[in-house]
Amino acid sequence: MSADPGRRRFLAAGGALTLSFALPLHAVSAELPESLDKTPWLDAWIRIGADEQITVFTGKAELGQGIKTALLQVAADTLRVAPSRVRIVTADTARTPDEGITAGSNSMKDSGTALRHAAGQVRVRLAQLAAARLRVETASLSLKDGVFVTPDGRRATYGQLVTGQQLHLRATPQAAPPPPGPNTAIGQSLARLDIPAKVSGAPAYVQDLRLPGMLHARVVRPPAQAARLAGIDSNAVERLPGVVKVVRDGRFLAVIADGEYRAVKAAAALARAARWDTPAVLPARQDIATLVRAQASTAMPILERGGPIAGGRRLAATFTRPFQLHGSIGPSCAIAQLVDGRYTVWTHSQGVFPLRSALAELLAIDQDTMRCIHVEGSGCYGHNGADDVAADAVLLARALPGRPVRVQWMREDEHAWEPVGAAMVAEVAATLDASGRIVDWRYDVWTPSHNTRPGKAGNLLAATHLARPFTPPVPTPSPQPEGSGDRNAIPYYLLPNARVTHHFQPKAVLRTSAMRGLGAYCNVFAIESFMDELARAAQVDPVAFRLRHLEDPRALDVIRLAAEKFGWDGYRRTPRRGRGFAFARYKNLAAYCALAVEVEVARETGLVRITRVAAAVDCGEIVNPDGVRNQIEGGIVQSASWTLLEQLRFDAQRVLSVDWASYPILRFGQAPDKLDVHLIDRPGQPFLGTGEAAQGPAAAALANAVFDACGLRMRDLPLDRERIRAS
Amino acid sequence: MTAYRLQVNGKQHAVDTDPDTPLLYVLRNDLALNGAKFGCGLGQCGSCTVLLAGQPAMSCMVPVSVVGARPVRTVESLGDARQQHTIGVLQQAFIDEQAAQCGYCIAGMIMQATALLEREPQPSDARIRAHMAPNLCRCGTHMRILRAVRRAADRLAKDKR
Amino acid sequence: MNRPRRKRHVKRWLLLAAVIAAACIAWIIMWRPALAPQTAIPSFDDTRIARGANVATLGMCASCHTPDLSRPFAGGKPIETPFGTVHSTNITPDAATGIGTWSLDAFTRAMRKGVARDGHLLYPAFPYNHYVRMTQADIDDLYAYLMTRPALDAPARPNDMTFPFGLRPLVAFWNLLYLDDAPWRPDPAQSAEWNRGAYLADAVAHCAACHTPRTLLGGPDIKRQLDGGEAEDWYAPALNARSPSPLPWTRAQLASYLRTGLAPDHAIAAGPMQDVVMLLAQARPDDVDALAAWTHSQLARAPVRETPANTPGPLPAPRADDPELAAMRLGHALYAHSCARCHDAGRAASSGTALPLQQAIALYDPDPRSLLHLIDDGVHPPDGEAGRTMPGFRNILGDEQAVALAAYLRKYGAGQPAWPDLDDTVRKARTP
Repeated sequence: MSADPGRRRFLAAGGALTLSFALPLHAVSAELPESLDKTPWLDAWIRIGADEQITVFTGKAELGQGIKTALLQVAADTLRVAPSRVRIVTADTARTPDEGITAGSNSMKDSGTALRHAAGQVRVRLAQLAAARLRVETASLSLKDGVFVTPDGRRATYGQLVTGQQLHLRATPQAAPPPPGPNTAIGQSLARLDIPAKVSGAPAYVQDLRLPGMLHARVVRPPAQAARLAGIDSNAVERLPGVVKVVRDGRFLAVIADGEYRAVKAAAALARAARWDTPAVLPARQDIATLVRAQASTAMPILERGGPIAGGRRLAATFTRPFQLHGSIGPSCAIAQLVDGRYTVWTHSQGVFPLRSALAELLAIDQDTMRCIHVEGSGCYGHNGADDVAADAVLLARALPGRPVRVQWMREDEHAWEPVGAAMVAEVAATLDASGRIVDWRYDVWTPSHNTRPGKAGNLLAATHLARPFTPPVPTPSPQPEGSGDRNAIPYYLLPNARVTHHFQPKAVLRTSAMRGLGAYCNVFAIESFMDELARAAQVDPVAFRLRHLEDPRALDVIRLAAEKFGWDGYRRTPRRGRGFAFARYKNLAAYCALAVEVEVARETGLVRITRVAAAVDCGEIVNPDGVRNQIEGGIVQSASWTLLEQLRFDAQRVLSVDWASYPILRFGQAPDKLDVHLIDRPGQPFLGTGEAAQGPAAAALANAVFDACGLRMRDLPLDRERIRAS
Repeated sequence: MTAYRLQVNGKQHAVDTDPDTPLLYVLRNDLALNGAKFGCGLGQCGSCTVLLAGQPAMSCMVPVSVVGARPVRTVESLGDARQQHTIGVLQQAFIDEQAAQCGYCIAGMIMQATALLEREPQPSDARIRAHMAPNLCRCGTHMRILRAVRRAADRLAKDKR
Repeated sequence: MNRPRRKRHVKRWLLLAAVIAAACIAWIIMWRPALAPQTAIPSFDDTRIARGANVATLGMCASCHTPDLSRPFAGGKPIETPFGTVHSTNITPDAATGIGTWSLDAFTRAMRKGVARDGHLLYPAFPYNHYVRMTQADIDDLYAYLMTRPALDAPARPNDMTFPFGLRPLVAFWNLLYLDDAPWRPDPAQSAEWNRGAYLADAVAHCAACHTPRTLLGGPDIKRQLDGGEAEDWYAPALNARSPSPLPWTRAQLASYLRTGLAPDHAIAAGPMQDVVMLLAQARPDDVDALAAWTHSQLARAPVRETPANTPGPLPAPRADDPELAAMRLGHALYAHSCARCHDAGRAASSGTALPLQQAIALYDPDPRSLLHLIDDGVHPPDGEAGRTMPGFRNILGDEQAVALAAYLRKYGAGQPAWPDLDDTVRKARTP
């Protein structure tokens, strides 16, 4: 898994070598690209059957982002076969490579690159086998749809060539030449493989799995993380119809029943039979800035360039982001079964391998006795309840060996117990010189951990509720350039003097973890809002201001494209409407995203209407254009929901945002009138992660547009109606 | 446990279950139909939307005891009712527009839209937006969902001519 | 021969004179002059505008004039009356389609007399018979606020009135009967806060417009002040001794209800009241407290009585000797399967407890319409705002089921005599 910074990657593109650097540079080593490095055997990635069926294996998981389809396209294209001949197997500890977690928009980079590399070498190997079998030179063979043909018409199919272990080869660092002819699948908007089942009710999700003898379970969670179980009398619950078992281990309470609704009712009865002490430990009345600043933090400088500047015009601002919820539309679900000392877990976790590790630690078993299989859930947008419900399931499977136990979280469970998006406070200050350029930049961001994913059992919710609880490990921040709370805290702009500091907080008042974009959502919101403020202070157009502080031609291209498609030059302001612009390169090394937004603000009601959005994206070589558009559109609309509506509420004892009524999200009435995404394709360039690229820019563009429309500079997320009315 | 006779997707089914069991669980567990989904169980998100006597209803709020003889339709019934999983016009429109990310809300969206298009063959865009409001999408697929419903409406109108 | 003919002549002339005189009198009653349009909107200082914002929220202007949250005060909301459907007008300062050309005098005349700038009479769906008692200072401030809103182009939508009630000049006769322009007077025996509340309730928030029954001609029945009325097909409960609330309202409950829409363990604002509390949430808190103080003084006149609300819990199965046993059994089953999941005492429902139904005021209303709205449509906060939610059962319960449920809840939840014509009311409510 490629969390390492500073690997130089080689990619052959049309004969020209393209170097792409991540910082800092290390010595060149004979490493394999991306996920191949950990799993170098070609047949771990690609298998070819005598029946001509090609099976591709990836350690990444389909989250609804279309990765299954895109990866399949990469493999099919590189092998020069029709996509319909390829099956793809995802994330299964028994069958696929270990690619860690499907996150960070790294799937195309990690797995796509590995597959492309592996498939290229498979194709080369097959050509060699064909040449030997047909007794010709490899160069004389033509290849079409998995069949090699000699000049005199003799043929050898892929299936005929692979009769044994021919593909059990280690990959080599040197990339294979590109496949002959034009792309057959890469660059096409191949229809997503998973959608037909989803529109017709065919089984598609872990929630749809029905195993023989399966039992249904519900967990009864404490009313709050700090709540203590004072007493429980579960006798009556045990006698309810359909109840098979009531499980109690410390504060972990669950009921298993032979029917799903019976489990629901029994859990409600069990909840009523429990008495809890819920201390008032949450800082209910504090604003986010106060609350976040009150936590202990360690100052970690991540950029120190030049020195402070005297003179010039100095501006400063503080931005905040509240706790927010992933809010997966389908609450988390898992099925676990213990048979003959071996566990099987069906889970929508983003990382089946790290999950297995954590579950094995939880149960004190050998990892090899457990198999975790990814089955799709609803969109997770990061670390939601998926891992925790898997832990619930294995604990209950252990309590009832032999039977599959299905645990489904209720809506209130998911809302109240998912690890939330972390609150953030960002302080920005900059100096403009007389010519309107930024000469000095200072950025400080305070935030708790954006990554408490399992790996360790202590990061599983149930583990912390057992009679002998696991302790959550002290979180540590991921280093730059990936970053966590400090992701995208370093602006992509040319800043001669800059200091950026990440004030990492190991403890938070709520359990926080990775949510789409991690720190990038708030950091880009803050930076891009502030760039707008600077531009206005310098009396320069906000787009022109950004252009003058950038050199990377790809950044300039997306900015210009978004501005052009929006009609930025020549925009005519109408009453109550305004426009806003924002740009970011996700993690400063993944996809480029610029967007322009027009809003209409009704101050009296606080309603912000998004009239139109024009976005431009460069994600390197595009595998599936429609897939990219889908992700960006979704990212923009989701970010609009976060930005205009969402904040987690809690009182002194517990989280109050426990359903959609108490945590409203965007509905159709507030979706934009018009939203267009324009793509810049870069054939030959590395695949760049795109799934999270729009979250931050959308937030900032909205805030900038609100300012343009009505003069309200809102620096505290969300820009909700109450705030707009009150100001 | 009580015996109920339910008409689902044009077929009669005999079901034995507790009277207060929401229709959602009956559909999923007794009849093995996946279309209606558990999203909240509170009538707040619409993932469980089915048609009950032609009207959209959140099946998590429908106790099986109140259904009676009223026909129930789920996403499995669109298109040719005799075949499971047949793609109907709406389903095809959702596929054509690739109107899904995680897709969990989509079956509910399709049923909600079906109720509209069966009553108002040529709804305005504003009408579609207002009609779909009870259904939540967390992935932000709203634009495509609206386009898919529009596309299906246009296609149905064309078929009628 | 001459005398009888002269008598007839005289009679005819007298008749003609009388008709002409009546016509003159009628014309004098009905006609109003146009006031000159103003060509420029004056400027106003921020303090006046801020005070005016408060008057606007207390006056509930947005509840009729802002049906579309993205176009504040642009009007267009259809208001059903027994005389037809009236649409609210554009009160933004747009010159062509709003009130941009209205001078302060024209605005005052509209507020107090129900006369538009050009002299046409406004339908009393616009509650000028309450605003007439607003102080001039409040009208001035409201004017300052409205005239500084963004001007929106929104022509008035055509109304759909039943003949002859659409004839505007006839409203003048309604005004003769119901437009009482005596100034509002404080009660010296009461506190300043009570008087503030009384003023706001009568002249600004016009509570009685919904909570007092109306006569056949649609005017307030002043002999039955606050005896209960209706709004948008909901029953607006009595706010006096005839309050249907099974448990007495405390002042704190009222204050909470008016400010947040929720009095915990007592009541939730639903239907047209949701708009009211949404606006009151934006008004000055001390004004809302004053309203609560006054309203409480009226509600405190209701006698304390024994009702099932004193012993909340799961609603019971029907008695074996109930004359409508079959229907009540059906209603009880519907309650047990559909409602009890949230409304049973002791069950926590999602983001908040739902009221045990013995305490639901709607069950005690003399009129089942509010209960039927609640059953069919539930309760929902405005789109995008957090709040309590109850799902609607319109598409879940058939008509007979809704009737059975309502009848059961009335008898076994509230212990009240059956509502007459419940069948008809349900059918009417469910016919679009």
